[in-house]
Amino acid sequence: MPALLSIRDLEISFRNGKRLTPAVSGVSFDVGAGEIVTLVGESGSGKSVTALSILGLLARQGKITGGEILFEGKNLLSLSPAELDAIRGREIAMIFQDIMYSLNPVLTVGSQMTEGMRRHLGYTKEQAWAESVRLLRRTGIRDAESMMKKYPHMCSGGMRQRVMIAIALSCKPKLLIADEPTTALDVTIQCQIMELLRSLREETGMAVLLITHDIGIVAEMADRVAVMYAGQCVEEADAETLLTRPAHAYTRALMQAVPGLHDDKARRLYAIPGFVPQVYGDMTGCRFAPRCPHGRECPWKDDGRMAEIAPGHLSRCRWEEGGEAV
Amino acid sequence: MSSMPVLEAKGLCKTYKVSGENSLFAKTFSAVKDVSFAVYPGETFGIVGESGCGKSTVARLLMCLEKPTSGEVYFQGQRTDNVPEAQRRKLRPRFQMVFQDSGSSLNPRKRVGDLIREPMQYHGLGSAKEIDARVEELLSLVGLPAEMKNRYPHEFSGGQRQRICIAKALSLNPDVIVLDEPVSALDVSVQAQILNLLRDLQEKLNLTYLFIGHGLGAVHYLSSRIAVMYRGRIVEMGGSDALFDHPAHPYTRALLDAAPVADYALRGRNRVSLSGEVDEEPPDGACPLYARCPYRTEECLRFKGEMTAVTGDETHLSVCHRAWEG
Repeated sequence: MPALLSIRDLEISFRNGKRLTPAVSGVSFDVGAGEIVTLVGESGSGKSVTALSILGLLARQGKITGGEILFEGKNLLSLSPAELDAIRGREIAMIFQDIMYSLNPVLTVGSQMTEGMRRHLGYTKEQAWAESVRLLRRTGIRDAESMMKKYPHMCSGGMRQRVMIAIALSCKPKLLIADEPTTALDVTIQCQIMELLRSLREETGMAVLLITHDIGIVAEMADRVAVMYAGQCVEEADAETLLTRPAHAYTRALMQAVPGLHDDKARRLYAIPGFVPQVYGDMTGCRFAPRCPHGRECPWKDDGRMAEIAPGHLSRCRWEEGGEAV
Repeated sequence: MSSMPVLEAKGLCKTYKVSGENSLFAKTFSAVKDVSFAVYPGETFGIVGESGCGKSTVARLLMCLEKPTSGEVYFQGQRTDNVPEAQRRKLRPRFQMVFQDSGSSLNPRKRVGDLIREPMQYHGLGSAKEIDARVEELLSLVGLPAEMKNRYPHEFSGGQRQRICIAKALSLNPDVIVLDEPVSALDVSVQAQILNLLRDLQEKLNLTYLFIGHGLGAVHYLSSRIAVMYRGRIVEMGGSDALFDHPAHPYTRALLDAAPVADYALRGRNRVSLSGEVDEEPPDGACPLYARCPYRTEECLRFKGEMTAVTGDETHLSVCHRAWEG
């Protein structure tokens, strides 16, 4: 079965004066129907840019210079703006990290909720209103009727994120792109939102592309995971494989850098030396090599190709074939 | 722990006036309610809680950056909250603070060397030459090359800027450093570097830390004792391993359960989850968690606010009248 969303060799650059600075190079991954795929990486790894490019939402300086984004076999990059409009919000919906600015402050929740259904599904005002109330209840808002009449500033962060999810769900999309949906929220609210996304997936069968910097969220949510570093996808596998048998030195380092809740405190945290490169267009070979604990000893450092190291497990690093752990 | 505490809070309360009719809290807002704890020499005392729980206000009160509405602050046995600023200024070099946002706590128009030099000049610690040598020593102490003293803050990454802030705090040879979310704004790989640095410095310089954070793993990694705050109160306090392994208060348990853990084996574990959000008002005189707690009983309506020892551990205190039964 072909994947619902298939990204192939995506290349994105940003115009910086006259120069083009590459932000994403050679990113490929698939999202199957009903699947939760997480894209994990640190800031500046290109994960949000990748997500924005799917719906043609890149800032004007951003340019897709190569590759394709196939949604149900159609290349989204070759669609006209009108054709893309018909997909955006209808087939693919998106929610954002920035809960403060992602809702229109001068329109009520109700008018923002009903807009998509009236436009894409041809609902009447009454139908859309009734459906909106149902959706808000579904996302866990108790007093949905009065919520419809509120303005965004009257709601807490958690409520706003629920409203955004309800708006995103209103046209029953096949794919929901969630760009760090809980980064601005407290952990107990984050836990509620993740629970909600998971149960909505069970109920509606929609696929979710979840972007996060938190490997903990990957462990809780993901079916499949793609790890991004410096504009590249460095490892891709199902969640269990990735978390229990990571192959890439960066994935391993990332997991060891997070302090656990019941760790032995005498153990020192593994800190990756240096910091995430901000400009990586000129880097050749493995982009993690300058920070990698194996450093110069790595026989593959000049290669950096994505290779299938086990069925369904792709990695740019094959250190594990050599044996010992980080 | 029979020695004199370095920092002590006794019954601290802080009430802010909140004006405006649309405000959630009509007139005043109690940010901190009856907070008491003591920090002993050489230890790290952690405070965790979600946004708005009052943890940063406690830090500001202890640093005498704000005046408590009632209650007392002691530094090495001396009262500091009600003495004239001129007198307090003599003590200030001995308690220093590091803030979350390293970008806005460094003057962008000054060179890094001058920023670190400034506190020492102000307090007259040595000749210009001695201070110059000390600046270089401090930079290398926090892991930055001494040549970097001529650069401006914007030339550094977030992690490096946080190192500069730490160097600045160390410049006056303090006894205690209050760290207010020092790693929350950093990427995980850099977070681990800073946590390790803080730990090394503590050992080398025999420092005492008050570490405030919402990242549970980070707080646990550094702290020997931890207090959990909710709606302005300390709801549980104890040794960090005891608190994380055997939480006695339902809020602590929910907080720990909500934190995503990077362990695939723990996916879908049973958790204590709280309904609703932090701003849900409990009824008058009830436990602050009443509106959200899954274990509430009649008795929780009559909240006493007394910290009682958890069975079998005199140093582990909780305000919940129900010993943990889960």
